[in-house]
Amino acid sequence: MEPSNKFLIQEEEVYSGALSCRGCGWALLVRHLSSILGKETVYVVPASCFSIIAGPYPMNELRGTIVHTIFAAAPATATGIRTALDRQGKKDVIVAVLAGDGGTFDIGFQSLSGAATRGENILYVCNNNGAYMNTGIQTSTATPYGAVTTTNPNSNIKKTWPKDLMGIIAAHNIPYAATASLAFMEDLRMKVKKAKETEGFRLLMIDGPCPPGHKTEPDKSIYVARQAVESKLFPLYEVEHHNYRINYFPSEYVPVKECLRVQGRFKHLFKDDSEEILNDIQQHTNDYWDRLRLLESHSFQVKN
Amino acid sequence: MLEVRGHARGGQGMVTAFEILAKIFSHSGKYQVQAFPAFGVERTGAPIQAFLRISKEPILNRSNVYHPHLILVFDEALIEQVPVFDGIRSGGSVLFNTDRDPEEFSGKADKIYTIPATKISLEKGLGSKSLPIVNAAMIGAVIKILDADINIAKQIIGNNVPSKPVENMKAAEVAYNSLTGIDSINKFLLGSIETGNDGEETLLLADEQKKQFLVQLEEIPKVPYWSQPMSLNKTGNWRVLTPTYVTRDAPCTTNCPAGTDVRKFVDLTSEKKFVEAYDVIYEHNPFPSVCGRVCPHFCEQNCNRMELDEGLNIGSIERFLGDRSFKSELKSYKITQKEKIAVVGAGPAGLTAALRLTEKGYPTTVFEALPYAGGMMRTGIPEFRLPKNILDEEIKRIERQGVNIILNKKVTVKELENDFNAVIVAVGSHIGSKMNIPDEDIVLDGIVFLHNFKMKNDNQGVSKDDEVAIIGGGNTAIDVARTILRLGGKPTIYYRRTRKEMPAIAHEVDEALAEGVEIKFLTAPVGISKNDRIDLTLIDMELGEPDESGRRRPVPIKGSESTVTADKIIAAIGQKPDDFVFAGNEIKASQGKIEYDASVAVFCSGDMAWGGTVTEAIGSGNKVAEEVNAFFRGEPYSHEETEKDIVIPAELNFAYYLPTSRTQNPVKKSRDFYNDFDEVIKGLTESEILIESKRCLHCGDCFSCGNCYNYCPDAAIFIDEENRLRIDYDYCKGCGICAQECPCSAINFQMNEVVL
Amino acid sequence: MSNSSSIKNKVEKKKKQDAKQYNRHTLKILKGNFAAAEGAKLCRTGFIPAYPITPQTTIVEALSDMVGRGEMDATFINMDSEHSVFAAAMGASLAGERVFTATSGQGLFYAHEVLHAIAHFRLPIVICNVGRPSIPWNIWSDQTDSLSQRDTGWVQFYGESSQEVLDDIIQGYFIAEKLDLPVMIVLDAFYQSHTSENVWVPDINLIDEFLPAKEKTGSEIDVSNPKSYGGLIPTEHYEKFNIKFWQDINKVEDLTNEIGKKFGDLFGREYSAVEAVNIKPETKMILVTLSSITTTARGVLKQHPEVGLLKLRLFKPFPKKSVLKILNHVSNNCIIVNIERNFLGDNEGAIMHEMKRALYGSSFKMYDVYTGLGGKDVPPSTIEKIIRKTFNAPEDVVWIDFE
Repeated sequence: MEPSNKFLIQEEEVYSGALSCRGCGWALLVRHLSSILGKETVYVVPASCFSIIAGPYPMNELRGTIVHTIFAAAPATATGIRTALDRQGKKDVIVAVLAGDGGTFDIGFQSLSGAATRGENILYVCNNNGAYMNTGIQTSTATPYGAVTTTNPNSNIKKTWPKDLMGIIAAHNIPYAATASLAFMEDLRMKVKKAKETEGFRLLMIDGPCPPGHKTEPDKSIYVARQAVESKLFPLYEVEHHNYRINYFPSEYVPVKECLRVQGRFKHLFKDDSEEILNDIQQHTNDYWDRLRLLESHSFQVKN
Repeated sequence: MLEVRGHARGGQGMVTAFEILAKIFSHSGKYQVQAFPAFGVERTGAPIQAFLRISKEPILNRSNVYHPHLILVFDEALIEQVPVFDGIRSGGSVLFNTDRDPEEFSGKADKIYTIPATKISLEKGLGSKSLPIVNAAMIGAVIKILDADINIAKQIIGNNVPSKPVENMKAAEVAYNSLTGIDSINKFLLGSIETGNDGEETLLLADEQKKQFLVQLEEIPKVPYWSQPMSLNKTGNWRVLTPTYVTRDAPCTTNCPAGTDVRKFVDLTSEKKFVEAYDVIYEHNPFPSVCGRVCPHFCEQNCNRMELDEGLNIGSIERFLGDRSFKSELKSYKITQKEKIAVVGAGPAGLTAALRLTEKGYPTTVFEALPYAGGMMRTGIPEFRLPKNILDEEIKRIERQGVNIILNKKVTVKELENDFNAVIVAVGSHIGSKMNIPDEDIVLDGIVFLHNFKMKNDNQGVSKDDEVAIIGGGNTAIDVARTILRLGGKPTIYYRRTRKEMPAIAHEVDEALAEGVEIKFLTAPVGISKNDRIDLTLIDMELGEPDESGRRRPVPIKGSESTVTADKIIAAIGQKPDDFVFAGNEIKASQGKIEYDASVAVFCSGDMAWGGTVTEAIGSGNKVAEEVNAFFRGEPYSHEETEKDIVIPAELNFAYYLPTSRTQNPVKKSRDFYNDFDEVIKGLTESEILIESKRCLHCGDCFSCGNCYNYCPDAAIFIDEENRLRIDYDYCKGCGICAQECPCSAINFQMNEVVL
Repeated sequence: MSNSSSIKNKVEKKKKQDAKQYNRHTLKILKGNFAAAEGAKLCRTGFIPAYPITPQTTIVEALSDMVGRGEMDATFINMDSEHSVFAAAMGASLAGERVFTATSGQGLFYAHEVLHAIAHFRLPIVICNVGRPSIPWNIWSDQTDSLSQRDTGWVQFYGESSQEVLDDIIQGYFIAEKLDLPVMIVLDAFYQSHTSENVWVPDINLIDEFLPAKEKTGSEIDVSNPKSYGGLIPTEHYEKFNIKFWQDINKVEDLTNEIGKKFGDLFGREYSAVEAVNIKPETKMILVTLSSITTTARGVLKQHPEVGLLKLRLFKPFPKKSVLKILNHVSNNCIIVNIERNFLGDNEGAIMHEMKRALYGSSFKMYDVYTGLGGKDVPPSTIEKIIRKTFNAPEDVVWIDFE
């Protein structure tokens, strides 16, 4: 990346004072997201860190509308709102779900699948920080292999691979799904704009830095996010219907351990006898990347 | 019943500390305890509260503590941010985590204790600088205040902290032993533990009566919605470390002996503001065209970009700006000062000093012994490195600005002392040093050779195909060798150390080698004998201990003598000043004012004082002008450099710079340089200059890349009316992302200052 | 010929009398579920999120059909679960739509958390619940499902007939939108849901007179006036919203009576929170019932002038004032017997809980009878058995068929 010399946000659509931890990915994501989606947006928020960040009584962090809803059914709530707005002739108003990985991969999974299958005209944004952070770092099905959480403590590290939600959502044949990283902000903003302009069910999967949960220094949030992309732990790609496009090919080889090393949740992997786990993670990462390449090569570049 | 209230930041371990304190006091079996946090939504760094009750009697209260006997402040900065002293009982105590003495908090409570818990914790490796985990140290201090058993406390701490038990136990013990403010047993606190009735009901009732309970039901809607801006919540009080915009020193700029603001002129160039860029150079250096060519480019030598790919070609940018005459209007300077100044020597130092003093309004005259101005730039640097017209242009410009140069006038200080108030001696080093070997008189002096050839076209007996031995390793040796080559001769340089120690400009050495100059290292002349040609006896050297220049001293290897035969021998082993100006007196010349027996203030500048390159001479000229001015104005002047805050590569974020290769100057390539005195190194085109100047990393200087603004999670960075970036400290939580992601290290990130 | 013609005339005359009684109505034979669908259509509901569950299924099928035929201008969406159904209903209602859906048993249990959210978002959603219990699998009539949701903040009406279900939906929307509270209309599985009977279906213009299009309250989602709904609320403010809720839920009983009367004026069928049948000062026994058992009890009561019947139409909030008003005139020698088609895992059933609460401090003797659970038929003989039972044992709760 080159210095952009760009002040990417023309008009702030958030207020300062959000109840986000220092270096929180959620707050930064929503700041950019809202600056693109604009005031006339209804954000539907299931239980997540953002439920708190967005503002307790009597405040609203956003200049748009927020509907806080139950954990398991944000896409359903959004469906109802979308329907009502459509009936009222407000088709231009964006309805966006802002959910965490728990609300997306786990408890909200059925509702998500339902809305995606029905093709609801909803923009779904998942800030994936890989655990239930709002409740204090418990394992979710998005938690990376090898991470420590309070429900996978110490020696009992998580030894299952996270759910491939992008693969699953792509299988729903939706018009637009993409991964994005805060460290690649212009790419992220491009994807938000694209998702905004697409009709139907769209999903953005954002790698969400979380200093308390990932046990990183707050100032390293962007660094860690960048390393995740550079090491291919979090590849940047888009899926339009069943067509894949990889957006960023790291130019230099960065081993996954370079990204894991700076995160306290993986520190046990850097003890003598954990080399095998690191190798497994590297292998899994390589395989996933290869699979993406294959999917990309099999994609026909026809829209819709 | 003792009631304790704690104030800390989320993540500092206070809740754990309170639970451990409860365990410690229940351990004896004598006391009832109760510890709990005010469970809120606050995040790491946000102010939080916790409560502790200790009582001999059953505790019959499960509400928050509103009237504590003891208040624990885990972060002293909180006293500016939350009402930590609210409700403290008469006779109550406060324990602060601080490096300060209790006296500094006097008036805050009846009894103050202080403990440097942060320092203790960091020493024990507990937590991070932005969030030290101070709970164990705070427990240790409380144990001391409450006169409890530290050994039992340590054991309970060890069993209850989530990690680092040994360090936590040690921290507690250190704190126990270093609490300040303890003089006698705190009877008020200890007594409260023993008594059951604490009288809180009465105090609370008094609170209630003071408060106005007006619940306005009508002001809220039935449906739970609200819409006041989040900015009501000022998160600035979460901040422990504070970012600030700073302008730091770039190594290019600090390394320039002339003092040129290199970063600035490169930046202006990249914006195509060539006139402004030229002016920035000219402020310190009136010879950009010359320096763009012949300076060793100190600015490039520690360019941080070398850590990423290749350093910037700053010299070419300077040369471009100088050559293209991107010059602003010449200013005319009025004489405003009465002191008359003479400058001896019209080299870079003398002319620069004269120009600066003219700018300051001093009547200044330059005396030059030779029939031409320019000093070593004129006489010592061959045409193929510095064409005459380039130098002429720059000297003319200085003259047009009002500097009066008198040529062909070789003067002494004494001759000037009556007509001038100050004399700046800047005569350079034009006398070649001797090798101190027998029969040296047949050896030509390199500096003289260059002068005579350049100015008088005198090849001093060097014919085509002559083999010429050149002794030395500096720029003169290289220039001589390359001149010989152009006269059709076969030059060989003999140097007593290795390539690494050669004082000559590295790329000049490369070019010389490429052109066909031969260089023999680790060899020194010991004897000469003249026959039809000249036999030069050399001895092999090896490198020993470093000398005062820091370079390893060459040591002869006994018995390694050998002899070569040459047609000419030219020595270029160093130069010294001509002492005529001091009437033959040997004066130890040093930068600035010197002691000299004359009725006028005498200053030295240029090669004779320090340095040895054009740019150093220019810097020397600038400095001496400053000193002369200070001298006359009665202002203090110091040779001491101000401390620099230089950006090092580790402080840059290279992720934001795309690796690109350096735009190299075209170099004239030829199989035969005979009679070819064309300039070897060519300049860059405007488009190349723009590309190259855009490669600048802007070390330590904000270039409005937008990163801090774009990455601030808290929308706490804004652009003010004057288009400057500002941090809104009402909201900045101090995450430090702006500082971390600043590509050029123009944001400082340090601990908050606490002002009491 | 003349005879048959005279009979025909008589029938016509009778019909006309009825028609006169229910002016601007059409007589239809409808199952309870279809009456519910008809009610939703007549109330011009705009959004129906749906998920099928026996015995509710035909309600959503009928609505889907009506939408498909263009008989109603609503959006019908097949959701992925009852949980999502209620969440979608919540979203649309928050955005100002008039929303209807229906469910049953497990579906209602599954939606439990959303019921709370809808109530406390103060959304005027009306639903039908066709009662059935939980495990072991049972799809038949039982009120355990809805009664176990009585503390979610929803207003509950128990309809006795298809006609009442239809009429309750109309009145339900009125009350819901007046007080910003959700309303649940409960009908019994099969005995009502799948029972075809006479229903006078009002003309749409009559409905429009009674229930105008949903008015804006200013609380709806409005992107030109952005708000944050339902976020975190600090301890010191939370109660404010509870007080507002409490103030409105306390208005439901009076409003039910008031609007039931107004409905009677317009539609010819008057309703109240509770209905007293044959309750006189000298009444010896009063049966307290919900929904379809009421009808059977009415029949048995014809043989028992000494027995009265108290039908609870509004169950939640419990119509305490109405109950007391009726019992005020009754001798306290009268015993009260609650017929419970619900089992809440407690000693007594839901009706007993509420009646005890309402009659706290009175000297009425009260007994509780469990019967008809899991759809077990409650024939007149069972009612007869209850009436004949001697309730003087210290045990005040009985399982009538297991003595």
